[in-house]
Amino acid sequence: MPNVSDLRTTPSPARSRRPRRANVIRLITVVGGAALVLSFPLVSPNPYILSVGVMVLNYAVLSTSWNMISGFTGYISLGHAAYFGLGAYGTGLTIKYLGLPSFVAFFVAGLIVLVLSIPVGFAALRVRGASFVIVSLSLVLVLLLVFQGWRGFTGGSEGLFVPRPFPDLSRSEHHLTFFFLFAALLAVSLLCWWIIDRSRFGTALKAIREDEDKAQSLGVPTMQYKLVAHVISATFTALGGGMYALWFGDLDPIFQFSILISSYMVLMALLGGVRHLFGPLLGAIVLGVAIEFFKLKFGDTQLHLIATGLLLGIVVLFMPDGIIPSVQSLLARFRPQESSISELSAAERLEEDAKREAEMTR
Amino acid sequence: MATTKQLQKQIKKGLAGATIAAFALVGCAGGDGDTNGDSNVDEGNGDPIVIGVSLPLTGDFSEPGKGVQQGYEVWAQVVNESGGLLGRQVELKILDDQSSADRVVTDYESLIAQDQVDLVFGPFSTRLVVPSARVADEYGMLFVEPAGAATEVFEQGLDNLFYAAPAIAVDHYNYLAEYLLALPEDQRPQTAAYASMDDPFAQGTAYGLKAKLEAGGVETVADEVYPPNTTDFSGIASKIAATNADIIVGGTQYQDAVNLIISLQQLGYQPDFAAFSTAPTNPEFESAIGDPTGILSPTGYSVTAPYPSNIEFVEKYNEVFGNDPSEDQANAYTTGQVVAAAVEAVGCAEQGECQQELIDWLHSNSVNTVVGELSWDETGKPTGAHLIQQWIDGEIEIVLPEEAAGVELVHPKPEW
Amino acid sequence: MSGALLFQSLILGVLLGGLYALLAAGLTLYFGVMRVVMIAHSAFLILAAYLAWYFHERTGIDPLVSLVFTIPLFFVVGVLVQRLLISRLKPLTLTMMSVLLTFSIALVIEGTLGFFFSGTQRRISLPYSTASIEILEANIPIVKLIAFGLAALSLLGLFLLMKLSRFGQALRATMQNREAAQLIGIQTDTVTDYGFGLGLVTAAIGGTALSLDATIYPSLHWHWIGPLMAIIVVGGLGSIPGAAIAAMLLGITQALLQLPLGQTWAQTIFYVALFATLAFRPQGFFGGRLAQRF
Repeated sequence: MPNVSDLRTTPSPARSRRPRRANVIRLITVVGGAALVLSFPLVSPNPYILSVGVMVLNYAVLSTSWNMISGFTGYISLGHAAYFGLGAYGTGLTIKYLGLPSFVAFFVAGLIVLVLSIPVGFAALRVRGASFVIVSLSLVLVLLLVFQGWRGFTGGSEGLFVPRPFPDLSRSEHHLTFFFLFAALLAVSLLCWWIIDRSRFGTALKAIREDEDKAQSLGVPTMQYKLVAHVISATFTALGGGMYALWFGDLDPIFQFSILISSYMVLMALLGGVRHLFGPLLGAIVLGVAIEFFKLKFGDTQLHLIATGLLLGIVVLFMPDGIIPSVQSLLARFRPQESSISELSAAERLEEDAKREAEMTR
Repeated sequence: MATTKQLQKQIKKGLAGATIAAFALVGCAGGDGDTNGDSNVDEGNGDPIVIGVSLPLTGDFSEPGKGVQQGYEVWAQVVNESGGLLGRQVELKILDDQSSADRVVTDYESLIAQDQVDLVFGPFSTRLVVPSARVADEYGMLFVEPAGAATEVFEQGLDNLFYAAPAIAVDHYNYLAEYLLALPEDQRPQTAAYASMDDPFAQGTAYGLKAKLEAGGVETVADEVYPPNTTDFSGIASKIAATNADIIVGGTQYQDAVNLIISLQQLGYQPDFAAFSTAPTNPEFESAIGDPTGILSPTGYSVTAPYPSNIEFVEKYNEVFGNDPSEDQANAYTTGQVVAAAVEAVGCAEQGECQQELIDWLHSNSVNTVVGELSWDETGKPTGAHLIQQWIDGEIEIVLPEEAAGVELVHPKPEW
Repeated sequence: MSGALLFQSLILGVLLGGLYALLAAGLTLYFGVMRVVMIAHSAFLILAAYLAWYFHERTGIDPLVSLVFTIPLFFVVGVLVQRLLISRLKPLTLTMMSVLLTFSIALVIEGTLGFFFSGTQRRISLPYSTASIEILEANIPIVKLIAFGLAALSLLGLFLLMKLSRFGQALRATMQNREAAQLIGIQTDTVTDYGFGLGLVTAAIGGTALSLDATIYPSLHWHWIGPLMAIIVVGGLGSIPGAAIAAMLLGITQALLQLPLGQTWAQTIFYVALFATLAFRPQGFFGGRLAQRF
């Protein structure tokens, strides 16, 4: 009898039996979605809206990256903004002190964060559970202090100015260019997530999420795998930060190392569903637009905090898999195929359960 | 199971499409928002002139931010009551930037690109001025601002920028430096301690004085800089108190000055001279720290200054808010006056080429305001100087320069 | 650096350490009893400080008197939070989810405080705010002494409660081994509820003590949660005496480091200690039998 501890090493039977029609629909969805996203600049009525679009794509990159560690392994990182800030400042400082061209600096900063995230990940993941969260939170807080305190190097609270990579572009052309650059970065991170999701590595990570001790006793090298996921996630987040630096041009420790950005990342991924490829992206669109709308109309930071907190709390308490998956299962309950319990025999129910497990651990 | 997957895909596709479409709709809807302010046309003289501003109504700078808002509101009332600008009523569109540098950029972008405002006023705080001035510059807009006073602001190569106050930060303490260095040997301070916030304006004022005092032979025995959200000054105060400096100079905003002074009082430090920027110009300062007698501060504005527009301003302000205005309100009012003068002289108020004409006019003319006559060099730096005020017997008095002073500067400072 | 300055920093460090100790004790309670990392603890701290400030603003009475209201209030809130929210979380993912949940509670508290009191920084102005006593050339502000006294007294009370009362013993039993405690008849659910309430009471006292001399603003709690978490990790999770020792040690170190390094860098000592402890001795340095690897 199959059970949740099984580490599937072959693709689940369900996948190989999937009819072509569903595959085609899937492909159409992805292509259609991509087309919609890429055509957004044509629809946006003014550069301001376009800049909001850029911001939303930035959030999407960040929350997808967050999902690479926290969605797969279940290790909730509340301090991912640290890598965002490091990537942003890394790019800015590399340009300032080493004089490298913008995009070279961008990749260099990503590399630096990759290297830095190894010892950090090692310390954070060595002891599991709550210590990971404490470390991730502490990382953001301490980096905030360091970047504020080291004024001579980082500019402190006066901020760091990052020159534009294409200084001849008008402001709206600048937004347009970066819209596509962010879209490209998003595509790469989505691809990466997708590859991890389908791989044995990804299955092992999910096993860690389900029950780490069991996974370890079954031979999964948990420490190494967690570390790899952590490093990949940190690097993509840093690349998102670097691109933000090149686009926005003005960095400030309080807004780069911000707990609020961390919580947005978490909320967006949870909103869209942590187990789905496009979950964080959807969450980023919905939440990003909502945030901008509320900030513009109402301005108050207080209401955002309350709303963010409440939303997060509700999701944690009632919909830990994400809002969209919860809505899906709610809708699925109303479909006629689902029989009520009394009509099925015990054996049939067990078989249904097994099928559902197989689907979840794919 | 295949059908469940299908349903999943369809739901996802539908949701994705729907949200993106919603996004686009919001964008479009926001686009033709509230730029047709036809509702206020009681004069029947055409559309109102919409002026966009972003202010820190919440966050670290919310206290002075509200002061600036009040100043702008009174200005708009005064202008509208006397017939408006170019015969059109003025309307303020104010957004809250939460004292945040990235928010202020987005705010001005939305005001200029989406709301298509005719004119803009600058935000509060030097930290926010530089990024927003850049945005305005990229859209070709005139940018007169009430609070960007640090030297770096004028080194950005922006020609659309004008600071609506008599002097930039490093020159704020000029009269005081002159006075101190002219004192006889036994009364002059020998040692100085500096504490400033890591903020281009606050630090600018303190370091401006520091440069002059050091050049005049006053030894610097402490030089502390702290991030803006610092609230615990016991460490800094300990160091300063240990030096027993003759003069303490604070490059401060509001609460940090209060906290620093309280910490210094707790440690029993009694300097001969004490100068803090910004905080002592607030009326609440008196009750926050006990006895403020003797504390000096640079100020660009004096309620009792006899300029005709000032008399009108003070009267109107009292009518609307029930008390005298202070520097923040005055700076805002001045900004309005400067822009109004340019608009009336050039004869237009809209985006586009008009903005460059306004900019050119201001570079070659001066404007009479509530802080006196203002004129600027080619970088937008004003060419005047700040007054020095001192708290004496529970009142703020102008003590320097002597020509403008009501009373003698009190020194050494009585115990606080 | 003069001896007087050093001595003064030492004293200030001790006073600060005492306050940290009280606050960290509360955090330890939550973890020990429920394995919950209560990120909202410092948010409740700031809430208590705001309530004390507001009380003083409205009535003019010394803010310490507000404890009469805040202590029972926070106890009840603690019990409710535990019973209504935290107990709903599935035990398998309790630690992670509790972090997210308490994090969201902290955001809501911060937002609500900002909503009602705005982001303006507040400080209580008392007649004795600037008074200090002089000991061997060091000036010790009275308000800091009072805060320390309050913290010390509360810690003593907590200690006596835990050691001598039946409830305290039940609490310690539950912290040591939940199932065993149940087997000998302890109502662990009720004990857990009250333990949570007790933790929030320490926040109430700590917050009021803090309000005497500190400047408060809604996002201040982030400033405190880092050091507090570091303290309980260094001290050894689940051990109150361990937390108290770590608090004193780190508080004194911070105060002494302020002299050469300045305030911002001195704060990083907590994080350095945190990372070092996790890297070399994850179970903490001072914890006794109750110290946990989490």
